[in-house]
Amino acid sequence: MSQIFKRPSLSTLPAWFGVLVLEILLIIVMGIMEPAFLSGSNLSNIIRSSAIPIILGIGMTFTILTGGIDLSVGSVLAFTGILLSGFITHMPRTTAVFLTVVIVMVVVGGINGVLIGKLGLNSFVITLGTLGIFRGISYLVTNGTTRTIDTGEFIYVLGDGNLGPVPGPLIVVLVVAIIAIWALRSTYFGRDVYAVGGNEFAAKLAGIFTSRIKLLVYFISALLAALAGIMQVGRLQSAAPTAGAGIELVVVAGVLLGGTRLSGGVGSITGTVIGLLFLQTVSNSLTIQGVSSYWQQVVTGVLLGAAVLFDRIRVQYSGRRKSREESNVTKE
Amino acid sequence: MVGITKHFDAVRALQDVHLELYPGEVHTVAGENGSGKSTLLKILAGVIKPDNGQVFADGAPVNFQGVREAMSHGVTMVSQELSLVPYLSVAENIFLGGNQTRKTFGIDWRDTERRSVEYLKRLNLKVDPNQEVSNLAQHEQQLVEIARALASQTNVLLLDEPTSSLAPNEVASLFKVIRQLKDEGVSIVMISHRMSEMLEIGDRFTVLRDSKFIDTGVRAEVDEGWLIDRMVLNKPKKSIKTAQTTTAPELVMEIKAMSDRSGAFENISFNLFKGEIVGLAGLAGAGRTELVEAIVGLHPRKSGDVIVNGKVINHSTRATMNAGVVLVPDDRRLKSTIHDMSIRDNLLLSVHGRPQMPRSKRKEEKIISSWVSKFKIKMSSPSAPISSLSGGNQQKVVIARCLETKPQVLILDEATRGIDLGAKSEIYQILRELASEGLAILVVSSELSEIFEISDRVLVMHAGLLAADLDRSSITESDVIAAATGAMN
Repeated sequence: MSQIFKRPSLSTLPAWFGVLVLEILLIIVMGIMEPAFLSGSNLSNIIRSSAIPIILGIGMTFTILTGGIDLSVGSVLAFTGILLSGFITHMPRTTAVFLTVVIVMVVVGGINGVLIGKLGLNSFVITLGTLGIFRGISYLVTNGTTRTIDTGEFIYVLGDGNLGPVPGPLIVVLVVAIIAIWALRSTYFGRDVYAVGGNEFAAKLAGIFTSRIKLLVYFISALLAALAGIMQVGRLQSAAPTAGAGIELVVVAGVLLGGTRLSGGVGSITGTVIGLLFLQTVSNSLTIQGVSSYWQQVVTGVLLGAAVLFDRIRVQYSGRRKSREESNVTKE
Repeated sequence: MVGITKHFDAVRALQDVHLELYPGEVHTVAGENGSGKSTLLKILAGVIKPDNGQVFADGAPVNFQGVREAMSHGVTMVSQELSLVPYLSVAENIFLGGNQTRKTFGIDWRDTERRSVEYLKRLNLKVDPNQEVSNLAQHEQQLVEIARALASQTNVLLLDEPTSSLAPNEVASLFKVIRQLKDEGVSIVMISHRMSEMLEIGDRFTVLRDSKFIDTGVRAEVDEGWLIDRMVLNKPKKSIKTAQTTTAPELVMEIKAMSDRSGAFENISFNLFKGEIVGLAGLAGAGRTELVEAIVGLHPRKSGDVIVNGKVINHSTRATMNAGVVLVPDDRRLKSTIHDMSIRDNLLLSVHGRPQMPRSKRKEEKIISSWVSKFKIKMSSPSAPISSLSGGNQQKVVIARCLETKPQVLILDEATRGIDLGAKSEIYQILRELASEGLAILVVSSELSEIFEISDRVLVMHAGLLAADLDRSSITESDVIAAATGAMN
């Protein structure tokens, strides 16, 4: 097969490229239809509302890359807020935040990580269980009521405020994303994460401590869920047991849209950020168009299905292409 | 029934093979691994279609389009991997083909049970038909599968290595069943790797070698020698090994009385010395892969020790690797390469640092380029995915990964399977060089020619036991085949 002109093939572009194109198209179309969409306040609104799903999505990317999943992030987010609301009245705010994050990370990451990583139980079932447990505890402790919190300046900036002209949540997202990208790309840990998800047997044979890697990703996921919980408190100046209910749907959809493969081994933080940004832009556009928020859940669900379907098509396409190339080689 | 004759000549996996089967006889098919025995059975059972040739049933040509059609002609295969539904009852499994007794509304379970009891009785199997199949022992499950074949009016039963996972007394009871079926007029085609069993049960023998039909004989003219002569192409021994150094060999690794939980291998002991290449021969299912995976800590083991340089090594992959023992596993795609990763990451997969430490690009490039030039790995760039390489080059990457850990013992399991001839001889060359540098190498291979080409010493496994430890210079292929089929004892 002679190549007369070179066109970029689907498999050499990063998997998130298509979503990025969609995002840009969406922004252009919305900008023409609704000039208010491009106003500074709306754009900053999109960024602020994307921050928490992106932080959760970065944690989710780690767990999905190892071939697992963490469905408990939404209820851990709520649990973190409730825990913080309890601590914050008894001690200085920074101590309270620090203590909350550490406790959540150790308890949630410990439960998920030991059961999934060390004992090899099914991640879907275990985190579905912890999802129920921490949502339930949050309701029990608060009796279902929302607690208002005087968060002080720092937590407010993390969740909603500005640092100079820059939205605080944007800074948090950038810092976390850069650290995560570096960890996945440039450290032994990152390589091991991909290896475990790509072929666990081979990873083990190569001397990688596979169960330790799996344990670690659930700690990371819990840590980032705790961070998202603090940001949520800063944003709303309150802690509600209902916070983050159902957010795992959005987060998983965004991660998969961003090109991370559900079975593990393939994916990127960049993709996750773009995928979730796209989902938030869609939901913001629907809101501006006056579409009911109930419809937004339907749309998210459809996009989740589309992401998985698209991934399947991409895998098959590149598989076909490869076998065609191989047959070309034999012909030569 | 008049008589069944089947002829084939399919290309590639099978070439011009023919086989005749008469009512009420046991026809055993013998041959080394990869000689095409299973392919032949699959064609008979309608699993795959021959490219050429014709199958005749009762003198009339038939073309089975699928398993169901073969079954409707009374031909059923019981394969090595049993195909029962574990959580259904024995009776339900027997009638899985759908020929239960029916009544007005749905299935008549009482009659189904009565009929399944009949079949079980015919096979001397005393189990409750309402029991879940998963509760049965392996050999009982096999009989249930034969019962299912009988339930669909089978008169030609194809058994692919029915004895490979059975204990001696279970084999005896299976043979009793086979003889009984034979008396009832059922014809049986059986593949076996065990010489004594073939001779015990077979009425007629067909030998395949390298996908080709070699010979057919009846019981009266066949004995062990007859079979071995035809299974093995007795090439003149070519002595590639040049004069060996006569210094006292230095012990590197000692395997002591190792057994695994599932009984795949038992009480295996052997030593490996510095600078020698040892071949580990045996037929499929002899427990070789399980053994080498147990040595490097991947397969659970019940007892036994791995001792390297006098120290007992923990049963963990990393500990074994640190002690200097590494494995190149038998299935590249499933066990050793990570296809979505680059050649670079695959080659460096066993280079470990503190997890949070950044990897040094410069150092890694140096390691890569040294292996690439040493092994002549053909590739576009180290960042290309490993799947872009040919099988031989992928294997070189995996071997380089293992060698980068600076091992003292290198174990290779079917290292040249699916690799073209050029790459194969390159790999042999690499192994010889490594041995001359003092590495101890254990080569597991099902290809006798490979074993003979590179090893100094040959270990042979048969049915989970170490059957022989032979010196390369004093043996022929027949000796190895004899040990591997259990004919020696």
